[in-house]
Amino acid sequence: MKSINYKYTIITSLLIAFLFSFNGFSQEDEATDASSYKMRFNFKTVKQYDNSRLLEVSFIGQNKKDRKDKIPVFDAVIKFYNNDNLLGESKTSDEGIAQFAVPGNQIYITDEDGYINLTAKFEGSDGLDEEEEEIQVKDLFLELNLEEIDSVKTVLVKAFTIDSLGVEIPLEEADLIISVGGMISKMKLEEGTIEDGEFEFEFPTDIPGDVNGDILVYSIITDNDDFGNVIQQKTVNWGNIKTKIVKEDNKLWSEAAPIWMYIVLTILLVGVWANYLYTAINLFKIKKEGKEIELKETELNTEH
Amino acid sequence: MNIENRKRELAKEFSPMLEKTTKTSKIWIGFLIAVILVGVYAFFVQLFKGHIVTGMRDNVVWGIYIINFIFFVCLSYSGAFISGILHFFKTPWKNSVSRIVEIITVLSLIIGPIFILLCIGRLDRLHYLFIYPRIQSPITWDIIAIMTDLIGCFIYLYLTFIPDFAILRDNSENASKWRQKVYKFLAIGYQDTTTQREKLHKITRTMSAMVIALAIVAYSVLAWIFSLTLQPGWNSSIFAPYFIIAGLYSGIGVIIIAMYLIRKYYHLEHYIRKVHFIGAGIILLVVSLLFGYFTFSEYFSRWFSHKIHDTNLLNTLFTRYFWVFIFANYIGVLVPIVILFFKKFRTIKSITFAAIVAVIGLWFNRYLIVVPTLETPYLPIQDTREEFVHYTATWIEWALSFAGVAAFILFFILIMKLVPVIPMSGIIDNEREQKMSKKSFKKIVTE
Repeated sequence: MKSINYKYTIITSLLIAFLFSFNGFSQEDEATDASSYKMRFNFKTVKQYDNSRLLEVSFIGQNKKDRKDKIPVFDAVIKFYNNDNLLGESKTSDEGIAQFAVPGNQIYITDEDGYINLTAKFEGSDGLDEEEEEIQVKDLFLELNLEEIDSVKTVLVKAFTIDSLGVEIPLEEADLIISVGGMISKMKLEEGTIEDGEFEFEFPTDIPGDVNGDILVYSIITDNDDFGNVIQQKTVNWGNIKTKIVKEDNKLWSEAAPIWMYIVLTILLVGVWANYLYTAINLFKIKKEGKEIELKETELNTEH
Repeated sequence: MNIENRKRELAKEFSPMLEKTTKTSKIWIGFLIAVILVGVYAFFVQLFKGHIVTGMRDNVVWGIYIINFIFFVCLSYSGAFISGILHFFKTPWKNSVSRIVEIITVLSLIIGPIFILLCIGRLDRLHYLFIYPRIQSPITWDIIAIMTDLIGCFIYLYLTFIPDFAILRDNSENASKWRQKVYKFLAIGYQDTTTQREKLHKITRTMSAMVIALAIVAYSVLAWIFSLTLQPGWNSSIFAPYFIIAGLYSGIGVIIIAMYLIRKYYHLEHYIRKVHFIGAGIILLVVSLLFGYFTFSEYFSRWFSHKIHDTNLLNTLFTRYFWVFIFANYIGVLVPIVILFFKKFRTIKSITFAAIVAVIGLWFNRYLIVVPTLETPYLPIQDTREEFVHYTATWIEWALSFAGVAAFILFFILIMKLVPVIPMSGIIDNEREQKMSKKSFKKIVTE
């Protein structure tokens, strides 16, 4: 990447008040010196999977003495240009990041070598001086193919540029990373080199994927001098889900009650109901005896 | 003395109590029926308009219905417990109070669960409890326990009634025909022969032991419905024994009140004597000390733990429910202790007064267990109407509660119209035993 850094030293006395008002620092902190902060204005571009291009500026003030003391500049308007052609503008966030996505169908102005000249510009304000950075990248196309070749899950990456006549020119050599999407960040699977525009990689069989077995595969070229950052991605159902068989212990909230509970309850109920039955049997015996006595009495009465 | 003649005498003595209805008792029965009818009206209002007519809302889902349920069921279990003890250990003065206790046991076990039905929003789904029971749920345990206990108590009550039914069957020539038929049917041919008597004594004794165990189990299950949750104020390891003690406290209280009213109304001074009140009063004293100890232990550990939700609950108890708390846990415990502790205070009236204070105090204690806990949940409802957060019982709930109490008293009166409140068979058994001991004493002396 051809990068031209224009670094400006912040001199104005208003800078510190400007920076501190953004960050809620105490305005009474008079010990802080304005000149002790240096502005970091970094510009990068990422070509994304849908051919759109993300333009990103990081605008941060860094203490000259204490490098850990970094203060982001937010709400600063950053304008993005392709040569003199304004692509769009964006404001820096609370973290001092301004992003602008140029659509995939954008036609860029290129130089005779095919480089796209991109500029990010902060036009300055009452508190801050003007900042500008320019980068030059070539438009690289990444094709990511996920195929099963002889039952082997294979990642095939093809990288090429297109010249003015529309002819695909394979990329000679570039470092490439193959990753898969994780819950928090990308997980690197392989680091390799594209040679003659192609790269092949045997996909591992032990990646679980999401709940449906889907895996998001990335092929990434990072910080290339000629192409910047280029990302291509594709989803494939290569996940090898191993359902963990969790043996459910007998708990109060589980489907079935604990065994001891059935045993105790059965003993208690059988004990109690057996006693009821025993009582009922004895009552029948009492009744039977009563009937016999009654019969005898009736017989005696009839005899008399 | 000829036993048959004695039976006749007793039947004659108690028959006015069974057959005659005075004007006062008619008015009293009429009043009770009126209270029940108001309750029936309230029930229909609730049935057609839904639980919106009660004070129960999303926050406080249990109100005085559940309090009455616990109160009555506790009364029943304690009745079963006391009755079982009286029979099992052949307590000398049991005869005068045993039937009162047995009737209280069965009636409160019938009335209590009705309040649960009033509490259920979707009565049409009641049968789901039986179709889809979860053995691991304390609610299922409670259903099993209550049903088993109810059947056990019915059998037990019936066993103790049989000899009296037999006496009344043989000595109710002047009684109405339906009454004679009922006595004959219920006496199941009991002729008081030695074998029949022994059999009946044996099964009654076994059942008395059984109802003691059942009362403890069922009562603990009732306590676990609360204590197995994590709610502040409920989640306590001593809740089951605390409930048992509290139940005994209210049970003895109600027995003393019933003894006082029956003695006064039916002129049974000869059978229910001061000694019975003093005996019951001393038991009430012991139980009140235990109850006070458990109550102190329960609140002390909550206060000392400084857990935020327990602290919130205690703040509620000492602010919004300050006077209820004072009555339930101070007056309701200390007044009976003071009255019963000093010998000179132990008169029939003062013991009855102590029992009334204890019973009312215990009802409020139950209120404090149920409502303030539900008013201080883990996730409080915010920005809503006052009546959704706090609970106040409506007239519907009060009407149904009083109807429950009225039904309890009415059924008590009706049972006393069927069998004498003092077991005649018990009197005869006592006299028979006295005669036997005299004979054996005479035999020892002559030999």
